[in-house]
Amino acid sequence: MEPRVAYLWLIPALPLLAAGVGCVAPRNGRRLAAGAAIAAMLGALVLSCFALHLALADPSAHLVYNFRWFDLGNGAVRLGLLLDPLNGLMCVMVSLVGLLIFIFSLGYMDADENFTRFFCFLSLFAAAMLCVVVANSLLLLFIGWELVGLASYLLIGFWFHRPAAAAAAKKAFITTRIGDLGFLLGLVWLYDTTGSLLLYDGGNGVLESHVLGDLATQVLAGGLAASTAIGLLIFCGAVGKSGQFPLHVWLPDAMEGPTPVSALIHAATMVAAGVFLMARIFPLAAADQGLAAAPVHVLTVVAGIGAVTALMGAAIAVAQHDLKRILAFSTVSQLGYMMLALGVGSWVAAIFHLLTHAFFKALLFLGAGSVIHAAHHEQDIRNLGGLRSPMRATYATFSVGMMALTGVPFVFSGFWSKEAILHAASEWNVSHLPLYAGLAGVVLTAFYMTRLLCEVFWGAPRSPAAAHAHESPAVMTVPLVVLAVGAVALGFLGTPAWPWLQSQLTGEAVPAHSLLEGGGLMALSIVLVATGLGAGWALYGRRLRATAGADDPLAAAAPRLFAFLGARMKLDELYAATVGRLNTFAAALAVILDRWVWGGAVGFLARFGEFTGSVNRGVDEGGLNAGFDSISERIRGAGRAYSRAQTGETHGYLRALAVAFVVLALLALLGGGQ
Amino acid sequence: MNPDYAGLFLALKPETALVVGAVAVLGLDLSVFRRHAAAERLRLALWVASLAVLTAGVNVWLGPRGPAFGGVLMLDHLAVATRLGVLVLTLLTLGVARGAAVPHQPAEYVAVVLFAATGLMLMAAAQQLLLVFLSLELASLSLYVLAGFDRARPESAEAALKYFLFGGMASAFLLFGFSLIYGVTGSIELPRIAAQVSLQGADPLLMVALVMVLVAFGFKVAAAPFHLWAPDVYQGAPTPSAALIASASKLAGFTLFTRLLWPGFHAAVGNVAAPTFGPGWLPTVAVVSAASLLLGNLAALAQSSLRRLLAYSAIAHAGALLLGVMAAGRSGPAPLFYYASTYGLAAVGAFGVISAMERGGRCEYITDLAGLHRRSPLLAGCLAVFILSLAGIPPLAGFFGKFTVFAAALRLGGVAGPAGWLAILAIALSTVALYYYLIVLKQALIAAPAADARPIRVPRTTALTLVAAAGLIVWFGLDPAQLLGLF
Repeated sequence: MEPRVAYLWLIPALPLLAAGVGCVAPRNGRRLAAGAAIAAMLGALVLSCFALHLALADPSAHLVYNFRWFDLGNGAVRLGLLLDPLNGLMCVMVSLVGLLIFIFSLGYMDADENFTRFFCFLSLFAAAMLCVVVANSLLLLFIGWELVGLASYLLIGFWFHRPAAAAAAKKAFITTRIGDLGFLLGLVWLYDTTGSLLLYDGGNGVLESHVLGDLATQVLAGGLAASTAIGLLIFCGAVGKSGQFPLHVWLPDAMEGPTPVSALIHAATMVAAGVFLMARIFPLAAADQGLAAAPVHVLTVVAGIGAVTALMGAAIAVAQHDLKRILAFSTVSQLGYMMLALGVGSWVAAIFHLLTHAFFKALLFLGAGSVIHAAHHEQDIRNLGGLRSPMRATYATFSVGMMALTGVPFVFSGFWSKEAILHAASEWNVSHLPLYAGLAGVVLTAFYMTRLLCEVFWGAPRSPAAAHAHESPAVMTVPLVVLAVGAVALGFLGTPAWPWLQSQLTGEAVPAHSLLEGGGLMALSIVLVATGLGAGWALYGRRLRATAGADDPLAAAAPRLFAFLGARMKLDELYAATVGRLNTFAAALAVILDRWVWGGAVGFLARFGEFTGSVNRGVDEGGLNAGFDSISERIRGAGRAYSRAQTGETHGYLRALAVAFVVLALLALLGGGQ
Repeated sequence: MNPDYAGLFLALKPETALVVGAVAVLGLDLSVFRRHAAAERLRLALWVASLAVLTAGVNVWLGPRGPAFGGVLMLDHLAVATRLGVLVLTLLTLGVARGAAVPHQPAEYVAVVLFAATGLMLMAAAQQLLLVFLSLELASLSLYVLAGFDRARPESAEAALKYFLFGGMASAFLLFGFSLIYGVTGSIELPRIAAQVSLQGADPLLMVALVMVLVAFGFKVAAAPFHLWAPDVYQGAPTPSAALIASASKLAGFTLFTRLLWPGFHAAVGNVAAPTFGPGWLPTVAVVSAASLLLGNLAALAQSSLRRLLAYSAIAHAGALLLGVMAAGRSGPAPLFYYASTYGLAAVGAFGVISAMERGGRCEYITDLAGLHRRSPLLAGCLAVFILSLAGIPPLAGFFGKFTVFAAALRLGGVAGPAGWLAILAIALSTVALYYYLIVLKQALIAAPAADARPIRVPRTTALTLVAAAGLIVWFGLDPAQLLGLF
């Protein structure tokens, strides 16, 4: 066993320590909190690079370090740390993107009076996310998972004095919790069936073949395998966290948080945790593939949900006006692509896209942050415009991110990772619907990103805020440049001609193909990208928006469809009318039960306890003490107060002792009625 | 039998270290430190005493195991763990004493603490009735002196006198009980007594003797209805003395009586798994436990004095610990030891906070804690850990103590029998206890400080002690196997 794996805990521990420092730092200790956070992330990044180096020495091995947490009954609850190329890469990505976003936040949050608290929360988030990544136990992973949710809640509601932010934080927390409930049930079920939550444990982990074999052969009612049920329950958690349909509604609202938060948590890392989780437990999710008779397979469901999400997110993004919301729906859509890739069996493509997406989406969000920062928190794209010349660095890097996201061929990373997904979808032998959904999404993605770029950066400024915009400081633009380099370069780690990433992740040599392998599909998707770009340019680029109040060209063409998409397909309203109303009813019922039934019972008990307590005190002080006090007062007259009270009390005390002895002796002798 | 004095010395090396330390404290104070101011003398005495305690700890750790001196002493896991626990709690008490008001004769005070610790250490290992009695008396007499040490305050003298009278009565019961046991079984060595009792069964005279022992036991651990001294002593005694009485004395008492009752008298145990008790000592322990739980928790609700509240809470905890004694026959002493030692940590810590507050003014009523979070965040944070641990909130050690003891009690016969009902009663009363513990925390953490309240300066040694106690509570709570695995 590799002993160095035992030190993996340091990676999440460093940011946790920084969070502790930030938590006790005084409000004006800005340098201390931010310095600790950035130093910790730098440390975590260095350690992650060492870890990745270690993992790549033998890509097929899963290095583990398991330890006993505590004993429970006859068994022990064990946790563990895991290192393989998958989480080595994730560690590096999370700490690198995190570090850049921390640095960006120095500039972005500079004017905020709660700067210290912000860095404390950010560090807490980073610690929790890294804990999810390095866990070898689903329990430890779940602990990190919930902490990530908490940090997300705290950060979305960072400006909690704004009602919208407070409501968004609550919505995010509750919606993801619905998914987490499924996750938890899955864990309990899994523990009940296998007696372990360790992923790899020398042959006894839940991802190792003989346990998987057991799980896949246990058939429940309806021909469902136990592994299918457990896999679907765990997938619920991923659906919540990764903003998949139907639990995606919280993600766009989460944009109420500060923009670096949106970049870090709601684009690059946390929302990708669901994808990471499914990739992590991929052997478990795929265990039921051999059962031809099963009514449903986990991966089929995953592919379906992913395809629906990818298409729906892209369609809704077309009709949004808020800069960050467009990016949010784009995130929903891209996460859908990743789930789609997982579902069609290529978790490697999913992780490839996860990594590239982390870079270019963080880049886009930080670029948006730079725009918002410059334009005095104006984020409606109708009110922006003309930012190309005052904000050259932001414009250039944002364009790189935009082209990476749309998949402009050959140079940008998004192209290669998206191609990998589409290629995998085309080889899926169950159905070709996900492929069609993915291809349609490609057109829409290119379209809405062109619209975004034209509205924000081209033309003339349409509001005073936009007119006065100026380039952000270097502390903000330098991270943009670094991310832009990543958004380009990362793609070359996984091209068909040099599938380094694929072979490292799977631990097997993947044969290199020609760059143009599957050329038909590639050509088709290039054509589709061009179509999207062209349509976007034709509608928004050729005739630039003149005033903020002017109609959107698409709205003019299809007003009802545009309004429907703009209202996010009315899903929020649907939930409010169904689930929300049911919940309100249940809550009202619970209030009645609580206030009148349980409250009455508890109140009665409390009164009873209070009564007994006061009787007790009355007897103790009024009866014993006062009685003897007054007697001794009468007997001895004046004297030192304490001796008076004490002689009296002590006699009574000793008498009580004798009485108790007699009672207990009788009890011991008679033995309770025998 | 040829007495093995070399073996005895080896087994008693820790106690020897403590006694030598006590004599050294007295001697140095008389000769070298004589001219120093009282505070300086206290500081030096505490250093010497801490050194003695650490030496004793090393000797316990490295010392022999198994029976010693022909079975008079039994150095099994329980004895070693208890001896270490007593030493840790004594060390913490010394740390608390550093921050408390300086007594008139500092060296004598510290020396008596060491004598008390010696008695408690012997109690942990005694396996022969004479030694049991002697060690109990050594510990008790030292504690009486400690309770009355603050001669300037009438309350202190009052507490000592009351403690002494009560203790004398309890000792009389104990001695009477022991002589009856000797008369019935013809031996004062526990293994032989056990063999004899299993031959002749539950003799009525033996039952009377055992109940007499139980009276002394109830006195020692402040279980109802033998608790009446506790509130006054907790209130009147100097704070470090109260801390020692509440922690180390309780731990050693429980170890001693578990050893006495289970290996010695397991043949006369009776039955608490079914509603028909059967003659034996276990039902009486159950009654005492129920009485302590009810009285301690309910009376604590009505207290306005912080120390009296801690006293009643100690009575309630004694009731829960008695559940652990009942379950020790089946589940072993590990849950009991875990509960008693972690309770001791929290109790020492709580008294340490009180003593640190008394330096800067009054800390008598719960309302005196108001605004502690402003006056000293360190004290408020430590107090929160101690009180939450006493209340049994996870992940602190108090929770796991309650959990293991109640689980062990439920294992005696499920929820059907009296032991199960008692466990359910204890769990229900834990929620009641939460109320009065939270009142304390509300004052310390939420209420605004009084207008004339000033920040409290905590001496470094005391701060270190409190942080160490709080750290141990958190650590044992997160990793209970550290303590439970000792057995």
